[in-house]
Amino acid sequence: MSRPSIFRIAAWPWLLGTLAVLAVGFHKAIFVAPTEATMGDVQRIFYYHVPSAVMGLLFPYVNFIAALAYLFWRRRDPLKALAADALALAAAEVTVVFVSIGLLTGMLWGRAAWGIWWTWDARLSTYLLLWLLYVSYLLLRRFSSTGESHTLSAVLSVFAAVDVPIVYMSIRWWRTQHPSPVFGDGGSLDPSMWPAFLWNLGGWFLWGVFILAFRYALERRRQIADQENALRAIEASLEIPQ
Amino acid sequence: MTWHSLFDLSTMEHRHLLFAYIAVWTIQIGYLGWITWQWRHTKDTRP
Repeated sequence: MSRPSIFRIAAWPWLLGTLAVLAVGFHKAIFVAPTEATMGDVQRIFYYHVPSAVMGLLFPYVNFIAALAYLFWRRRDPLKALAADALALAAAEVTVVFVSIGLLTGMLWGRAAWGIWWTWDARLSTYLLLWLLYVSYLLLRRFSSTGESHTLSAVLSVFAAVDVPIVYMSIRWWRTQHPSPVFGDGGSLDPSMWPAFLWNLGGWFLWGVFILAFRYALERRRQIADQENALRAIEASLEIPQ
Repeated sequence: MTWHSLFDLSTMEHRHLLFAYIAVWTIQIGYLGWITWQWRHTKDTRP
């Protein structure tokens, strides 16, 4: 009988707490936050679009650090390298989920607010590139047959992470169809909209950490099962027929 | 905004707002469901 890990003990309270925060966030976003003067109710997409986009820029760094750890440990400590590789894979998948949502909600918002689904401005293009890079990462891991796919994908993730600061800075460096920053100095977000935004940002962060930990645990379970199968195959091949 | 106006599909603005919220939850719950299904179908071989 295996001993329950800290992840398993914390999982249900974490998930329930996350759903409670997201429920408050939904209530604030739809029923409490004021209607934006220019765009009307469609602006409420902001409360899901921006937190998802922020998570899409946060989890690539988890992937990046885990990939560096994998490259560091792959010869020195293969067991630690496997754990780092599992975390890198989990972070890449979570990144694709959040960036996909950022793109989809952005298109729905753009069609209603600008009259167009898409435009090739710097923010949208670099964000689409980010999505393509992490989808490429997952495809490389899934279909490469070189035997070095983990190392190749770790190197790809190091290059992919370079796009994250470019996405972040794109609306500062270039004039874009996408709005300028609404936070910080010169930001235009009304103070009455902050609670709805912060509740949803916190909720989707907690959700992202939860699915990252769950996906990591799944990958570790797979790795251990693969190791067991490989050991059994070696033992079977060493048995001398009587 | 009210529940009634949230499900008011008469204008593109309201349709897209509703679609965006439904899409976010569908994708996230779908991904969580996929992980859960894989978890249940992957043998736990820990000692």
